[in-house]
Amino acid sequence: MAVPETESMQDLRQRQPRFSGLESGHRACQGCGQALAARLVTEAAGPDVMIANATGCLEVFTTAWPQSAWRVPWMHSVFENAAAIAAGMEAALKVQGRQSKVLAFGGDGGTFDIGFQALSGMLERNHNVLYVCFDNEAYMNTGIQRSSSTPHAAMTTTSPPGKRRMGKRHLKKDLLSIISAHHIPYAASSSVAYPADIRRKVRRAMAIEGPTFLMIHSPCPLGWGHEGALTIEVARLAVQTGLFPVIELERGTLTDCMPIRELHPVTEYLKLQQRFRHLFAPDDPRATEELEHLQALADYNIDTYGLRGERPDPLDTEGADTVHRGGKVS
Amino acid sequence: MRQALEGSQAVARAVASCRPGVVAAYPITPQTHIVENISKLVADGLCDCEMVSVESEFSAASVVLGAAATGSRAYTATSSQGILLMAEVLYNIAGMRIPLVLTCANRAVSAPISIWNDQQDSMAVRDAGWIQLYCADNQEATDATVQAFRIAERMELPVMVCMDGFVLTHTMEPIDLPDQDQVDGFLPPYHFSRTLDSGHPMTLGGLAGPDYYAEIRHAHHRALLASETEIVSADRDWAELTGRASGGLLAVEGDADAELAVLAIGSVVGTLREAMQEYEGAKAKLIKLRCFRPFPVEALQQACRGVRRLIVLERALSPGGGGILGTEVRAALSELSDPPVVYNYAVGLGGRDVPMDLYPRLLEAVESGQGERFSIFDVELEKLPEEDR
Amino acid sequence: MSKKSSVILTRGAYAQPGSSLSFRTGTWRVERPVHVHHAAPCHAACPAGEDIQGWIALMQEGNSRAAWEGLVTANPLPAVTGRVCPHPCETACNRGGFDEAIGVHHLERYLGDMAIREGWDYPVPPLRAGGASIAVVGAGPAGLSASYHLRRLGYRVELFDDRPEAGGLLRAAIPMTRLPRSVLDAELERLLMPGINLHSHRRLGRDVSIQELQEDHAALFLGPGIHRPKPWSVDGAIPSDMEDALHLLKGWVDHGDVPKPKSVAIHGGGNTALDLARVMKRAGVSDVCVITASGLPGDAAADDVMHVVPRELDEAQEEGVVLYPHYTVQRLLMHGSKLVGIEIVRLKKLVGADGARHRVPFEGTERVLDVDMVVPAIGEAVDAEGMEALLEHADYLRGDVWGRLLGRDGVWVGGDARGDRGTVAAAVGDGTRAAIDIDRVLRDEPAPDAGAADLETIPLQAMNLHYYEHAARVPVQKVAVSERTDLTEIEGSMDAGQARAEAGRCLACGNCLACDNCWTLCPDSAVLKTVERATDGSHYLFDYDYCKGCGICAEECPPGFIRMVPEA
Repeated sequence: MAVPETESMQDLRQRQPRFSGLESGHRACQGCGQALAARLVTEAAGPDVMIANATGCLEVFTTAWPQSAWRVPWMHSVFENAAAIAAGMEAALKVQGRQSKVLAFGGDGGTFDIGFQALSGMLERNHNVLYVCFDNEAYMNTGIQRSSSTPHAAMTTTSPPGKRRMGKRHLKKDLLSIISAHHIPYAASSSVAYPADIRRKVRRAMAIEGPTFLMIHSPCPLGWGHEGALTIEVARLAVQTGLFPVIELERGTLTDCMPIRELHPVTEYLKLQQRFRHLFAPDDPRATEELEHLQALADYNIDTYGLRGERPDPLDTEGADTVHRGGKVS
Repeated sequence: MRQALEGSQAVARAVASCRPGVVAAYPITPQTHIVENISKLVADGLCDCEMVSVESEFSAASVVLGAAATGSRAYTATSSQGILLMAEVLYNIAGMRIPLVLTCANRAVSAPISIWNDQQDSMAVRDAGWIQLYCADNQEATDATVQAFRIAERMELPVMVCMDGFVLTHTMEPIDLPDQDQVDGFLPPYHFSRTLDSGHPMTLGGLAGPDYYAEIRHAHHRALLASETEIVSADRDWAELTGRASGGLLAVEGDADAELAVLAIGSVVGTLREAMQEYEGAKAKLIKLRCFRPFPVEALQQACRGVRRLIVLERALSPGGGGILGTEVRAALSELSDPPVVYNYAVGLGGRDVPMDLYPRLLEAVESGQGERFSIFDVELEKLPEEDR
Repeated sequence: MSKKSSVILTRGAYAQPGSSLSFRTGTWRVERPVHVHHAAPCHAACPAGEDIQGWIALMQEGNSRAAWEGLVTANPLPAVTGRVCPHPCETACNRGGFDEAIGVHHLERYLGDMAIREGWDYPVPPLRAGGASIAVVGAGPAGLSASYHLRRLGYRVELFDDRPEAGGLLRAAIPMTRLPRSVLDAELERLLMPGINLHSHRRLGRDVSIQELQEDHAALFLGPGIHRPKPWSVDGAIPSDMEDALHLLKGWVDHGDVPKPKSVAIHGGGNTALDLARVMKRAGVSDVCVITASGLPGDAAADDVMHVVPRELDEAQEEGVVLYPHYTVQRLLMHGSKLVGIEIVRLKKLVGADGARHRVPFEGTERVLDVDMVVPAIGEAVDAEGMEALLEHADYLRGDVWGRLLGRDGVWVGGDARGDRGTVAAAVGDGTRAAIDIDRVLRDEPAPDAGAADLETIPLQAMNLHYYEHAARVPVQKVAVSERTDLTEIEGSMDAGQARAEAGRCLACGNCLACDNCWTLCPDSAVLKTVERATDGSHYLFDYDYCKGCGICAEECPPGFIRMVPEA
């Protein structure tokens, strides 16, 4: 590409009518759900933030020295301490009387597992921090090992299927319930398939003085085994099957959910992903049983959280995934 | 103003006089009195800081890291298992060149669990890239605390102030506490060149590939070596202000021409000082090593010129290797044309008493030619089964 | 690593914000996203060539004036066509496969009526000084369209018609319940602007000749329409008092009178048949039926469907008109010279041994209808007067794709006179194409290649429908059947809110919806939003320096405007 044209594209990039805390040139895989989710969060949070980031793909692909893709103050320390780093930042801002909002970013490994204690401590101490967990349901940065967020029956390199196993034996940890049991003002889940929902929830959390938590379902094309182009489709189906409930909890109480607009059987979600391919082995009664099990888990979510949309919808999630000429009014 | 204070209390008051922005800590014996005292000062309005009582030492180190990077003077204290739990973050803090101060109330490391003093904990993290200062008494601990902030902030390196648990932390002594004016004159307001700020959004703690990692480690190593000057000048400036010096990198006491020397760190120095006066014997000098990281090679070589025999006492060991301090001292002195013979003993492990008569017994051992490359002094072998002796 | 690295390490390896821009991830790409315009199905289906999707987009943005101005670049008579067009656009509309087609004719009518109400003028440049004049024969839809488009191109137009007023068949034969004359008058008054001179009462062959017109003008456009009923008989038999449908309809429009037999069979499947059936039913004829070889919409192949406005068919049936689709009249039952009934037989268009489709009657399906009048409505041919040399005994004038009359230079033809048109929209399209071609010929520019690559239309399956909300077509008020007693227009208008809502239902098939999806969903921020710099009608540019080619934008583009193509 000719230099002058490149220059003007760069100028145009600087004039985009949105704030983006995460710039191009990062090294995420094609179709990375986490890269998108992180950018959407920074977009809604605005420039006056600082981020404490746990070790993981997001940290690695954004900060290969001497480059950084971040446009907001950002710090990575180690894997398990993002919440504590954020707490320290927040304490410093508070004592200095500065107004920036502190965000903490972690993957499911850094949140559900190794960073869980620091997160719990941060929530208990009531720090004014929005913790965002980008949930891609395994340790992707180290090469797809199971985490406590990996769904039941999914294949990872440490939960491989074989003669005696059908992928992960255990259930996905119900982290959101545990988080909300801290009685924090706001905890929610969202999905990268619903940018408007992410934006709304981030803004909501930003406006709260105190600890808030947002978990964003973010497909990993490499780890889940689907084409990068299908990231949004896969994420959408996770919601539309009931396997990933998009909900909001305030002070420990379920206050709202995104109703399923078009209910799909779980197989439509699962069959798009190589990590579940052993569940479609012909003539394997174990596969059938696991598919039924996953459907039962989805049905449980639908019942438990009222995902059929019978509940009143005071937060107007209606239309969260529709488009309009001229973009989303939100 | 001279007053009788417990060591922990004196350190807490010194910390408060440095006007920290954020203090984070998790309780562990024998560090507890320090943070209890700071908490009380905060509660009484005598220290205007955010006191973050975290859920682990790991988070304590992380909170002060986050706070210091965000532009606040930050402080924490811990001991023993707490230091080990912090270890990952300690390396991280230093690698990112974050200035902050940590007091290590030195304590033995489990197992077996022991709450009593030795220096195995801070020695275990000697390679984390921190400056380590060891205090002989509570006045030194008080003074070192203030100096540590200035050294840390000027060098952008973290400083660990090590004081023996119980022996110092829980002991009452008359202490000269610096005036607030003195501290304010000595220690300018906190400034960190890479403060996280949305006006200048820096990225800290990114990934370095093989092309850059070695250079960054090199720079870190050079910074620690260069901090010797800063450690010396801090002590000198403090002496000008208060009349009290702690010896900079190390201090030599006794007969300058002595061919026998004893080198020690921490509170053992005080015991030895008195013992050397109490017990007549060979002409000897006492080398108080204050700064263990950076390791003051040149100052040590200078102090050991003309010394024929050097006894190195330490309160830690590297099992299967030997003494930690002793090994480093030997290596440093090996560059001399006529290096002294080094006798290396671990003493006072896990709170074992270090009595005054240790000194004559050490001399006896050395005189009798029974000096060893390394041993744990005073081990009562009869307490052990045959095969373990 | 180079020994002479220009990179200077920073303390603790901190990095500057956004410095990743120096790392061009575009080199990873094996496929690149591109914008691919498709012909919207509505656009492709419109005989008048309206970019319906385009003007609906402007309505979505709330800009009615711009929408109307866009519309009238193709069709100068939206208030008319919005009422009388059989809207093949709605049949083609992809939304029909999702829930219900967009009510394009409602929107077109809304814009047309608004323009009349607001007194908007066409965006037309001044006449070219010293420019050539063009003669146009026939002030019906084809001639009016040709005049308008020629005028837009700067030509002076002399327009000839044998009737006292412009409008052609619109004025002569379309019932006022479908097209109020006030609407027609308003659109024609605007169209007959300075530079278009209407010469009424001027009849070809009597007052003016082809030769004369060709001599006096740079070009000649013929839009004479069809006024001569095609001969109709059943095996040579015809009732003595037979009159054809167009004649009866014109008579009713002129003086409000139609014959009132007890029962009537109208033979034909076009709007004339249907209009007359309804007029007669309303006039008091108790049994009115329409017999047509064609099928009903949705029940027959595309080339075998009744040429009517679909809603008119529904209204006719509501009003009690009985339809016999896929039937023809096989025998007249006469009592002397008086008709007492007809025998009809079922037939269908089938592929024959020769590979062509023929209508095949099925023996054994005959039935007799007791009617005392039969009215042929099988179409008309060009009235040859004044054009004998051009017609050479044919029923219609034959032209090429641009309307150039075959065998005669300098003459163009359009509208019903071509024999295969049948709608106002088609006539408007003929006028447009002829005007463009006339201009090109006068400026001595070559015609474009025949069949130059048309844009592909996009099927519904190639779009991402997750992003569209199901929404029923906005309903419009109609006069109740029991109240259809006078000349009041039957179908009502949309209000602004309804029009906005209906326009909002457009899926923007195959073209940019400006919905921001690609901009929002690119994990690499490699889609840049810009109205000024995007030259393809979208609002976005791809930044190929950073695009890794993941394909999310293409996958999630609701209208299917983005396609992944292999990297060269």
